[in-house]
Amino acid sequence: MSAAGLTSLSRCGVLMLRSPAALAVRYAQTAAAPAAQPRIKKFQVYRWDPDTPGDKPRMQTYEIDLNTCGPMVLDALIKIKNEMDSTLTFRRSCREGICGSCAMNINGGNTLACLNKIDTNLNKPTKIYPLPHMYVVKDLVPDMSNFYAQYKSIEPYLKKKDESKEGKEQYLQSVDDRQKLDGLYECILCACCSTSCPSYWWNGDKYLGPAVLMQAYRWMIDSRDEFTEERLSKLQDPFSVYRCHTIMNCTRTCPKGLNPGKAIAEIKKMMATYKEKKAAAV
Amino acid sequence: MAAIVRLSSVCRSGVKPLFYQSTLLARPLALPHKYQEQLCLQTARIHPSQALHAASGSTAASRHWTAERVLSIMLLAMGPVAYFNPGPVMDYSLAAALTLHGHWGIGQVVTDYVHGETKIKIANAGLFLLSAITFSGLCYFNYNDVGICKAVALLWSK
Repeated sequence: MSAAGLTSLSRCGVLMLRSPAALAVRYAQTAAAPAAQPRIKKFQVYRWDPDTPGDKPRMQTYEIDLNTCGPMVLDALIKIKNEMDSTLTFRRSCREGICGSCAMNINGGNTLACLNKIDTNLNKPTKIYPLPHMYVVKDLVPDMSNFYAQYKSIEPYLKKKDESKEGKEQYLQSVDDRQKLDGLYECILCACCSTSCPSYWWNGDKYLGPAVLMQAYRWMIDSRDEFTEERLSKLQDPFSVYRCHTIMNCTRTCPKGLNPGKAIAEIKKMMATYKEKKAAAV
Repeated sequence: MAAIVRLSSVCRSGVKPLFYQSTLLARPLALPHKYQEQLCLQTARIHPSQALHAASGSTAASRHWTAERVLSIMLLAMGPVAYFNPGPVMDYSLAAALTLHGHWGIGQVVTDYVHGETKIKIANAGLFLLSAITFSGLCYFNYNDVGICKAVALLWSK
C-alpha cells in the first residue's frame, strides 16, 4: 500500500497543505491497484434457448476474474453478457433491489441478483438457475403471467362502497392505521417467496402463493378499504389460502426482509372470525 | 398474452419494427406457429380464475380450518386428562379424536399431492376406508382389550 501511495504522491503536485498520511491513504484507494493475482471464479448458469429446435436445458460455465468485476451476482451476469456471451438472457433493471426484475435462484436460494454478493470462495462455483418451478421463457427468464394473473385476481387497489365521493377529498388515515401497512407495502412482487414455496410448486394453478396473499392481506387491513369481508369470502375454498402449511420458506427467502408467512397466518385468523365481525358491525 | 400474440401476428404479416424483438416478446415471435397455439392454451390453462369463483357465501373452508385447530388443541389437553383419568370415556374419545385428526391430516396431504379428478376420488375413498378401519379397530381394542389409556400405560410397566 505504501509503495502505491508514494508513487501517486510523487505524481501529485499539491500536497503541502494537507496531512501527507491522510492523502497517502486516499490516493492509495483511488490509484490503480497493483496487478494482483487474478481471482478466477466459476459461474454455472442455466441455459435454454427456445429458438434452437430440440435444444435441451444445460449448465454453461463462465470464468470471471473477480478483480475486474463488481461485487454483486448481477454485476457478474452483466459482465458475462457484455464481454463473453451476448446470448445470455436475463431480466434486470434498477440494480438496487427496488424493481424485482432480477429474481433468480442463486446457489440454491431465491434472491435478487442485484442484492446478492458474489461468494468469494473461488473453489466453489456459483450456480444460477431461473426461479424454480416456473415455465422458462429463455435462460434465466421465467414466465410470470400466472403470477401476475393471480395478483390481478385479488383486486390490489382501494375499493369503496360509495364511489360518488371518489376524487373529491383525501381518504385520511390515523398514524396507527398507516403503521399496519408497514412491512406489507414494501413488497416488490419479485416472486422469490412464491417460487420458493413447495405448496406453490405443487398447486401453483389454484394456490395464490405468499406474495399475492400478503398483498391480499395488505388491502384487507387497509383502514380506507371497505371490502374486507368480500375479499375474505373470495378466499373461501381449500386452495386459495389453505394450501399454506406454514413452511416459512417465503419469509426465509424474501430479499426485502418481509414476512409473508405471518401475513398468511393473519389472513387465516381473519377468515375464522370475519363473519362475527360483520354481525357485530350491524 | 393475447396482446403479445396479436403483436406477433402483426410481425408475421410483414411489419417488423425493432422494438418487437425485445427479449420480453421473443418467445412468441421465435416459435413456429404450431407451438404458439400450444403455448397459449397452456397459459390459459394455468390462469387461476377458479380461485375467485369461491364467492358462494359458504364458509366451509374456514370452518374446516378452525375445526382442525380446535381438535389439535383438544388433543394436546387429552393427553394429561387421559393420564389422570384413564377409563372407557377417555378411551373412546381418544379413538375418535386421533382418527379424525389423522383423517384430516392425511386429507391435506391428498389435497396437496393428488391431482386429477378420478385420482382424487380414489384417494379420498381409500382415505375414508383407512380411517373407518382405524376407528373400528381402536373401538374393538377398547371393547375387547385393555383400552388405549391402559395400553399406553403398559408401555412403561415392566
